[in-house]
Amino acid sequence: MNPPGASVSLIGHIALLAIISFGGVPGVLPDLRDFVVTANGWLTDRDFANCFAIVQAIPGPNMILMMSFIGWKLGGLPVAIASALVTFGPPCALSYTAFHFWDRFRETAWQQRVRRGLAPVTIGLVIAGGYVMARAGDAGWASLAVTAAAIGLMLMTRINPLWLVAAGGALGGLGML
Amino acid sequence: MSSALNEVETRPPVMLGALFLAFLKTSMYGFGGPIVWVRRIVVDERRWLSDRDFADLLSFCQFMPGPNVVSITVCIGAKFRGPVGALAALAGFIVIPWAVGFGLGALLLSYAQTPLLQGILRGVAAAAAGLLIATGIRLLLPHRHRPTALAFAAFAFVGLAIVKLPLLIVVLGLVPLSIALARPDGTPAR
Repeated sequence: MNPPGASVSLIGHIALLAIISFGGVPGVLPDLRDFVVTANGWLTDRDFANCFAIVQAIPGPNMILMMSFIGWKLGGLPVAIASALVTFGPPCALSYTAFHFWDRFRETAWQQRVRRGLAPVTIGLVIAGGYVMARAGDAGWASLAVTAAAIGLMLMTRINPLWLVAAGGALGGLGML
Repeated sequence: MSSALNEVETRPPVMLGALFLAFLKTSMYGFGGPIVWVRRIVVDERRWLSDRDFADLLSFCQFMPGPNVVSITVCIGAKFRGPVGALAALAGFIVIPWAVGFGLGALLLSYAQTPLLQGILRGVAAAAAGLLIATGIRLLLPHRHRPTALAFAAFAFVGLAIVKLPLLIVVLGLVPLSIALARPDGTPAR
């Protein structure tokens, strides 16, 4: 079991990442992985990849659950709950406050600028999140092929993403990855 | 547009229980992207918002930090019933689904070392990473004629994924510059 200081530092780091996670939580995955796997060695790369996979396979608020599982691995249920709370609490308060303000100034020139300026950066972060997760947990060429196929099918067909996740799971279950 | 916010006041009030239940349902159905289900339930089923209002709300929430669907939940709750509505919707979205998901996931994680589950998780992670990348590419498509936008998306990607800079550095370094260089002309980018 890790010292309590580790839990506090994890919760603090998740809180910081959550409040700057413009464009959504997937964008924090590369930074979070560096922090918990590479810098501190609290989780193995495989553990991290497992947490990511599990939250895709179950319903519920998936990124909040992912933070909870990382917290759970480190310090049990209390840290899991605290990690969940800091993932959505501060951003929620911010959205709540900002919404009225944003709505009042809709269609103004400066707001369009903010919108157009923020969008590409947030999109780059989301793609980076996917890229890092595709390579997490020593993924071999077969896993990368599954990722590539999922990208292609998502972009070129109107297939329900759930089928792609299920197909990936089936291929993996058959020991092909 | 902004007057759409006032239109709802002529309709019967949205009950707190209805907010709780609608977002509970959204969250429990939320395989493969909860946004899809939020739209379906809020726009198609309950008719609380028009498609246009929903798109506006979504574009706001996509920029806000934190889980996007949670921002949408809070904003819709707040729009109809103020702070209490925001809490009701949020509670519906999080409390029960979190408990169920955590129990289920913790069970799976304890068996994660078995070869069968290990293989399945490997496949699920690979496919899910692909979905994430595809979502990003799809969001980028409307910006494809703006070289500055493509450049900033590329900088963000390289900074985070290749150079492995901390997120704080990437966000603080790129966002102000990107906003300063964005022009407010033309159709708003969605």
